[in-house]
Amino acid sequence: MTRVAVLRMEGTNNEQDMHRAFAEAGGDPAYVHIKQLTDRVPETQQVDLLDYDVLALPGGFSAGDYVRAGAIFAARLEAQAGEALQAFHEDERPIVGVCNGFQVLVELGLLPGDDGDEAAEPEAALTMNASDHYECRPSLLEASETNCPFLEPYEGEDAVVFPSAHAEGRLELPRVEDLDELADRGQVAFRYTGPEGSSEYPWNPNGSPGDVAALTDPTGTVLGIMPHPDRAVHAWQHPDWTRGRDPEARGDGLALFEAIVDHAGGA
Amino acid sequence: MTVPDGVLAPVRSDAYDEGEVQTVRLLEAPIEDVQQASDEIGWGFAPAELAAIKDHFEQLGRNPRLIEIEALAQGWSEHCCYKTSRPVLREHVFGIEDDDVLLRQDAGLLAFDDDHVYALRIESHNHPSAIEPYGGAATGVGGILRDIACMGCQPVALADQLYFGPPDTPQDEVPGGIKHPVYLTNGVVSGISDYGNRVGIPNLAGSVHFHEDYTSNCLVNVGCVGIGERDNIIESASGDPGSVWLLAGGKTGRDGIHGVTFASQELDEDSEEQVPAVQLGDPITKEPLLHACLECIEADLVEGMKDLGGGGLSCAVGEMCEEAGVGADIELSEVHCKAEGMRPWEIWVSESQERMMISVSPENLDAVREILDMWDVECVELGEATEDEQITARWHGEPIFELGPEFVYEGPEVDRPSQAPEEPDPGPAPRAPEAWDKALVEVLGHDNVACRAPLLRQYDHTVRASTVVEPWVGELNSDGHADATVVKPLPDSWQGLAIAAGLNPALTAIDPYRGSLAAIDELARNLACAGARPDAIADCLNFPNPEKPEGMWKLERSAEALGEGARALEIPFASGNVSLYNESHAGAVPATPSLLGVGIVEDVRDTATSDLKGGDIVVVGRTTAEFGGSVYSQTREAGGEVPDVDLDALTRSVEAVVSAVEDGRVSAVHDPSEGGLAAALAEMAFGGDTGFQVDLTQVHPEPAAAMFAETPTRWVLETDEADELITDLEEAGLHAQRIGETREGDLVFDHGGDRLAALDPDTAYEAWHEGLTRSLGGDQA
Repeated sequence: MTRVAVLRMEGTNNEQDMHRAFAEAGGDPAYVHIKQLTDRVPETQQVDLLDYDVLALPGGFSAGDYVRAGAIFAARLEAQAGEALQAFHEDERPIVGVCNGFQVLVELGLLPGDDGDEAAEPEAALTMNASDHYECRPSLLEASETNCPFLEPYEGEDAVVFPSAHAEGRLELPRVEDLDELADRGQVAFRYTGPEGSSEYPWNPNGSPGDVAALTDPTGTVLGIMPHPDRAVHAWQHPDWTRGRDPEARGDGLALFEAIVDHAGGA
Repeated sequence: MTVPDGVLAPVRSDAYDEGEVQTVRLLEAPIEDVQQASDEIGWGFAPAELAAIKDHFEQLGRNPRLIEIEALAQGWSEHCCYKTSRPVLREHVFGIEDDDVLLRQDAGLLAFDDDHVYALRIESHNHPSAIEPYGGAATGVGGILRDIACMGCQPVALADQLYFGPPDTPQDEVPGGIKHPVYLTNGVVSGISDYGNRVGIPNLAGSVHFHEDYTSNCLVNVGCVGIGERDNIIESASGDPGSVWLLAGGKTGRDGIHGVTFASQELDEDSEEQVPAVQLGDPITKEPLLHACLECIEADLVEGMKDLGGGGLSCAVGEMCEEAGVGADIELSEVHCKAEGMRPWEIWVSESQERMMISVSPENLDAVREILDMWDVECVELGEATEDEQITARWHGEPIFELGPEFVYEGPEVDRPSQAPEEPDPGPAPRAPEAWDKALVEVLGHDNVACRAPLLRQYDHTVRASTVVEPWVGELNSDGHADATVVKPLPDSWQGLAIAAGLNPALTAIDPYRGSLAAIDELARNLACAGARPDAIADCLNFPNPEKPEGMWKLERSAEALGEGARALEIPFASGNVSLYNESHAGAVPATPSLLGVGIVEDVRDTATSDLKGGDIVVVGRTTAEFGGSVYSQTREAGGEVPDVDLDALTRSVEAVVSAVEDGRVSAVHDPSEGGLAAALAEMAFGGDTGFQVDLTQVHPEPAAAMFAETPTRWVLETDEADELITDLEEAGLHAQRIGETREGDLVFDHGGDRLAALDPDTAYEAWHEGLTRSLGGDQA
C-alpha cells in the first residue's frame, strides 16, 4: 500500500481532513509530527521520511502564521529534515501541499521550483487576499494542461468544486511574465473560474493573477493547491449537494488523491 | 487607588522576601476601611458578605491573608458562583428531563449514540470584548474550546451570538468611554475569525444582531459543540488522594487578573483602565494543548481535567476538589510565570489563557509528560490531592492559603427585589406601505435581515471536513442562509448533529417573557428545518444589573419563559452561563438569553435546506397581525404587540415538520423570522437563484401582516405533494396552506386580487446581499 506521511506541527489543523482523504483514496496515511523526523524524540517515535511514498502537508496555520504564512514550518522542515526532504524530492516521490501546505512548499522553494537557472531570489509568495481578509467559500476550478500526472483525471473535464478557506492565497511572482513562463512549462495546475466563465470575485477568492489556484514544480511531482480537495472527497461535503447530488457519491477531490496514491504505488 | 492604612500588613518569613505575602487585618481594622479597600481594589464584596467573611475568620481565630481574600473575591463573584441567578434558575429551568443529561460540568454531556456523547456549552465574553473587541472575542473562543475538551470531547463546531449597537449610530451619540458599534463589530469578528480559524474548528452557527440597547454594552457569546466516546468522558474532578496536580499549557501572567470581578460590575467611562482584566489569547499554544489533552484522555492516562477559566488556579483546584471530596496541597512557586516577581495571590487568581489543570495518578505521570513533550506543551507538578478536605497553597514551602473548598467556592446566594417596569405603550401597529416594492427592499436591506456573508465568510466552516450543511446553502456563492447547520461527527455513521441559535432581542427588549418564548420557538423551528428533533439547549443569559429591581425582573420573566418553553418541548438545558451587570452609565442591555440548540439528525442524507428547487410553496402555522419588535415596525417607526407562542402548537408542528423532512416530502424548508414571510421567501429564492409567485390572501386578510408580521411557529415548505402534505398537517391539527409556486423570474406577491409587489431578483438580491457591506462601511476586515 502507498504509505503517506501526513506531516504536522503546532497549528497544522487540517491533518484529519488530509488523512481521511488519503485513506478514502486507498492509501495508507499516518500522522507524522515534524519532531519525529529528528532525534529530539525517543528513538521509538523517530521516523524516517524515506519510509514513506507520499509526503502530504496539510492546511492550517502552522506556528500561527504570525510571520509569512508557512515560513516557520518551512524553516523548521529545512533545518530538521532538509536532507531527507531533498532525497525524497530527488527520488520524485509525490509531495502535495494544500492551503497552508502550499504556502510551505512555496516558502521551501519547491514551488514553483528550480527551472535550472539557480536564482537566488525567492521565486514566489502567497500573500494577503485582495479582500484583505479570510475567505471561506466554494471555488470552481478548471484544470490546465500540465506535466503533473496527478491532474490527469481533471484535464479536459468540467470545472470542479473545492472549498477555499484562507487569508493568504494570492500568488505573487517577481515579474508578471513569470506567470506565462510557468504556464508554458505546464506548471499551472488549476485556475479559478466561475459558473459563467468569469472568474471575478468571489470566484477568484484572493485576486491571484491569472486566477492561479495551484502550481506544480518542473518535475510534476510537487503539487501545491490553495483550495481544499481534501474537504471534497464525498458528495455530502459539497456545499450544494442538496440540489440534486447523491450524498453518497464521490466528491470532486477524491480523484486527485487516488491519482497520487496510484502514481506513488506504481513508481 | 487608595487603600486605607492598616488594612494590609506584610507577613514576615524566612522563606520569602518581605512584601510577597500580606495579611488583611480583617479582625482589627475598622470594617469601613476594609469595605473601602474592597471597593478600591475591586474585590466587590457587599457589606453583608464582608461580615460573613469576618465571622468565618473569627472562628478560625486568625486574619485572612491577601491571597485568601482574593480567592474569596473570585469565588463569591456573581460570575463564579451565580449568587443572584441560581435561585431564579432553580425555580424555573433546572430539572427538565434531567435523565438525558449524562454530566453537567464545564459543559453539558448528552448521549449521541450507544458509544458516543456530545458536549455543548455557550458562554459570554462581554466586558472584555467591549474594552478590547479583538482580544476579548478571541479568548472567548479559546475558553469555550477548553471547556469542551476537558470533558474528553473533540470540539466539532463553534457558534457565536453577537449583539452590537446599530452601525449607523452617529459618533456623537456613542456614550463616553464606549467604542463605536462598527469598530466593535469588526474587531469581534476578526478576533473570532483569527482565533477560531487558527485552532481549526469550524464556525457553524450563530447570529449577529444590531439593536440600540447594545450601543453601550455589546455582547459576545461564544458556544461550542464537541463529540466524544462514552468511555473517555473525563470529569472536572481530582483523582483520589495522592493524585498529582499537573498544570499544563501556557505560562501564568498578570493578564486576566480580576476578570471575574470586572465581569460582575457595570462598565463605566473609565472601563478602559480595566484592560489588564482582558486575557491574552494564543491559539498556537491552545491548538497543541487540545491535541495533547485529548491524546492523554484517549490513552486513559488522566483522572480528571479542568480548564482554567474565570478565577484561575484558585477556582480550578477548588472545584476539582469539591467535586471529588478531596483536598489539595499546592506549591505556587513552581508555576511558570510570564513576568518576574509575580505575587502568589496573582498566580493563584490569574486567568491567563491556554492552561489546563490535569489530575494524574503518579504511575501515569511519565506517560502524560511524554505526550505533552511531543506537542511542546509545558507542564509543572504543583502538588497532590489530599485526604482532608482542605486546600493548602504554599509559597516556598510556607502555607499561605488554608481554607475548605466549600466556603470559598460555593458562595452565598442572594434574593434580590424585583419590580416590573411601568407597562410601556406598545404604540400603534404599522400601516400598509404606499409602495410595497420599496418597503420590501427596505426590509431586505435592514441590518437584522441582510445577508451575513460579509462578516461570517471570514470564519472557516469546512475545516475538519465533517460539515454536511454549511451556514450557506443553495447555489454556490449565492450565500443563501441555512436555518441550522449539520455536522457528521463520526466517519462511519450517517447520524448527524444539527446546530442552531435562537434569540431576537428586538422582542425581548419589549417583552422579556414573550421574547424568550419566541427564542425557544425559533430555536426549535431552526432545528426542525434540518430534520432534527431538538435534543438539548445551552443557554447564556445576559442581563443588566440585578441589583436594580427592573434588571432582576427581566431575569425572572425570561427564566420563567425559558423554563415553560423547554418543558413543553421536553428539551433539557444541558449547560448554562449567566452574565449580569451588562449595564453602563449609558444604559442597560435588553434581556438577552442566547440559546444554542442541538438536535439529532437520524440520517444526514435526509436533511433539507432552505434554497428553492422547484415546486409548490406551502405555509405552515397561523399568521397574526402582531408587529411588536418586527423589522417592518422598525422601518416604519411604529410599534405593536409582541406575539405570544402557543407551546402546544409548537410541539406538534415541530414533530410534523421533522417528519416531513425525514420522509423526503419537502425539497426546501425555511422558517420566517426577522422580516416575516416576505423576507423568508426572498431568502429561499436567493439560495435557489430563482423567483416565485405567491398569493398571500389566505395567510392574513391584512396584506402587511401577511407579508411582514413575525408571528412565531411558522414554516415555509417547498414540496411536490402539496395536497397530501397539507392534508396530513391538518390531520395533525395544524394550519397549512398552499400559497404559490417556485418559478423563474420576479419575486411576486399577490393579495386579495392585487399585485402587492413584483421585485426583480437582481434588485432584491442586491438590497439583501450588500446590506451589511453598506452599513459597516465597505468590505469588512
